[in-house]
Amino acid sequence: MSTAPEAAAPQRSSSSRLPKNTRGAIQEYALVGVVAVILIAGAIIEPGSFLTSDNMLNVLRQASVVGVIAIGMTFVIATGGIDLSVGSMVAAASVVGGQFADSGSAMFVLGALGMGILLGSVNAGAIAYGKVVPFIATLAMFTMARGLALWISDKQPKSIFDLEFVRWFGNGEVIGIPSAAVVFVAVTIIGWLLLNRTRYGRYVVAVGGNREAARIAGINVPRIVFSVYVLAGLCVGIAAVLLSGRLSSASPIVGNLYELDAIAAVVIGGTSLAGGRATIVGTFLGVITFALIFNLLTLMDLAVEIQQVTKGLIILAAVLIQRRER
Amino acid sequence: MTIKRFMLPLLLVAALFAVACGSDDDESAGDSEQATQATETTGSPAQGGRVKIAFSAPGADHGWMAAITENARKEAKELGDVDLIAAEGVTDSAAQADQVETLIQQKPDALVLLPNEGDALTPVAQKATAQGIPVVVVDRALEAPGASRTFITGDNYGIGWQAGNYFADQLKCKGNVVEIQGIAGIQVTEERSKGFRDALKRRCPDGGIKIIASQPADFVPDKGLSVMENILQAHKDIDAVYTHDDDMAEGVVSAIENAGREDEMFLTGAGGSKAAMERIEKGGLYRATFLYNPTMSASAIRLARLIVRGEGLAELTEPEVPSQITVPATTVTKENVAELKELGF
Repeated sequence: MSTAPEAAAPQRSSSSRLPKNTRGAIQEYALVGVVAVILIAGAIIEPGSFLTSDNMLNVLRQASVVGVIAIGMTFVIATGGIDLSVGSMVAAASVVGGQFADSGSAMFVLGALGMGILLGSVNAGAIAYGKVVPFIATLAMFTMARGLALWISDKQPKSIFDLEFVRWFGNGEVIGIPSAAVVFVAVTIIGWLLLNRTRYGRYVVAVGGNREAARIAGINVPRIVFSVYVLAGLCVGIAAVLLSGRLSSASPIVGNLYELDAIAAVVIGGTSLAGGRATIVGTFLGVITFALIFNLLTLMDLAVEIQQVTKGLIILAAVLIQRRER
Repeated sequence: MTIKRFMLPLLLVAALFAVACGSDDDESAGDSEQATQATETTGSPAQGGRVKIAFSAPGADHGWMAAITENARKEAKELGDVDLIAAEGVTDSAAQADQVETLIQQKPDALVLLPNEGDALTPVAQKATAQGIPVVVVDRALEAPGASRTFITGDNYGIGWQAGNYFADQLKCKGNVVEIQGIAGIQVTEERSKGFRDALKRRCPDGGIKIIASQPADFVPDKGLSVMENILQAHKDIDAVYTHDDDMAEGVVSAIENAGREDEMFLTGAGGSKAAMERIEKGGLYRATFLYNPTMSASAIRLARLIVRGEGLAELTEPEVPSQITVPATTVTKENVAELKELGF
């Protein structure tokens, strides 16, 4: 039995790997082009403040929270699933960490990660074994986690100004690079290795590509599906630590619409919403693209309506360019 | 100015309404309505029995809304003779309308309503009014003037106006100001923004105070943080920051402190949260906030009780509760924070 998946899985992926990888690579290069265009345009429009090392590090730091979530989301979407609850879960995880704030930074981190994993497991159980559609299961968690966040916190933000270690994650630096960005890059690298260099990663993509084939090949499909939502929960926990550190407080009203930001970054990066095709590098570039757009539009102090239209146009253009190059 | 322009027609409408009611050939019409209503419900509230008040507000998505519901509950309890049926937790207007329908079924003496959206909740408020249940609307205006008995609200324009005056004083009409707005395109944001600009224009007509950046951050701290971080990158010389909300301001404060620029500027909030008041008391970056007081729901419970009993406000000459009350946007600074702190939420 144990040899069956090993024998079958490579066979399956060998038929889909080549087109998948070339496609992914082209899409990634296309996004590099988009990022380059934004950088050049920004340098011309805002010569004094945009393309400075200070501001670029600022963009990286801002991208880190949604970025870490988007890496987890990539695995979920790779299986053909979706997680709408990540934004609310960030709030719940922050708030639970905040409950342990008096016991020090380590307890805060454990609390936040634990809550992220716990809520992720609830999603995972409902979807993998309860056979609830991911959209609905995570929509339920979307409201539930927000409610829990408000309930546990008594609707009040909790100051964690004294937790030096947690705040370091948000505002500290490692040889001049924001620690939040270091965490984001580290999570990206681990995610890349997991997806591209392990059997687990192949199984995740296989489950998203053709569930029935994966099952016949001997992959424990429910277990793979379960794992990706737990992984998403873990990423949410990490993001909650970064965000709380940046805010110096654990607030129940943060994380609004992060799910959309994360999903958009994953999809613009080239991961297929239908599952079966995933790229971590693409997700990373997708997150950076959105962070750069937000940063540049704010620097320009454009009216919000113009910002929204511009942002929409850039997203559309980016996706169209990718489609063409394929 | 806008307030006056806004108030005059309202007062006229109110006056007309009063005249129309009063001159209605027989005053017994009103009385009999009151009487039938009293017989329908248990006890007779007009004679000092218990008053049954239904309360509906949207789900508490942040501290202010939480305080609204809490204050209403607390006031009902403290009054002693009020039975409160409170319904909360809905997040959209249609669900709230259904909720209010259910509340009306229980035949309350009065309904206190904070509508999620004024126009969407107008029909159901009209229905309650038609059934003889006086409706006290809190915070957000209904679409049709006849749909409610009384409207009690805060002063969003006043928040901007007070803030503008405060900035003019503090900056002596000279400096670079950043405005962090709430949700773009809603009335609260527009009024808080317009009041601020109007006051600055009037106090500093030579334009010495420049609004160098004005961006929405949706009333949430994480967006406030990111938006302010970007603005700090763009502007190296900022004298003051006007934010539309205390919760959101927490994130703006973090951005400024993380950048180590808290000595360069000062900041004000709006709303009157406990956390903001503590910061103001401590001094430093957070210099002031402007009340948008959630105690208005407690006042609404009191008003509903008076209306049911047919009483007016003691200090007013008129025998009835006014049809509109605006709670002022008090400026809270280090000087008066001690006495106002208990109003914080």
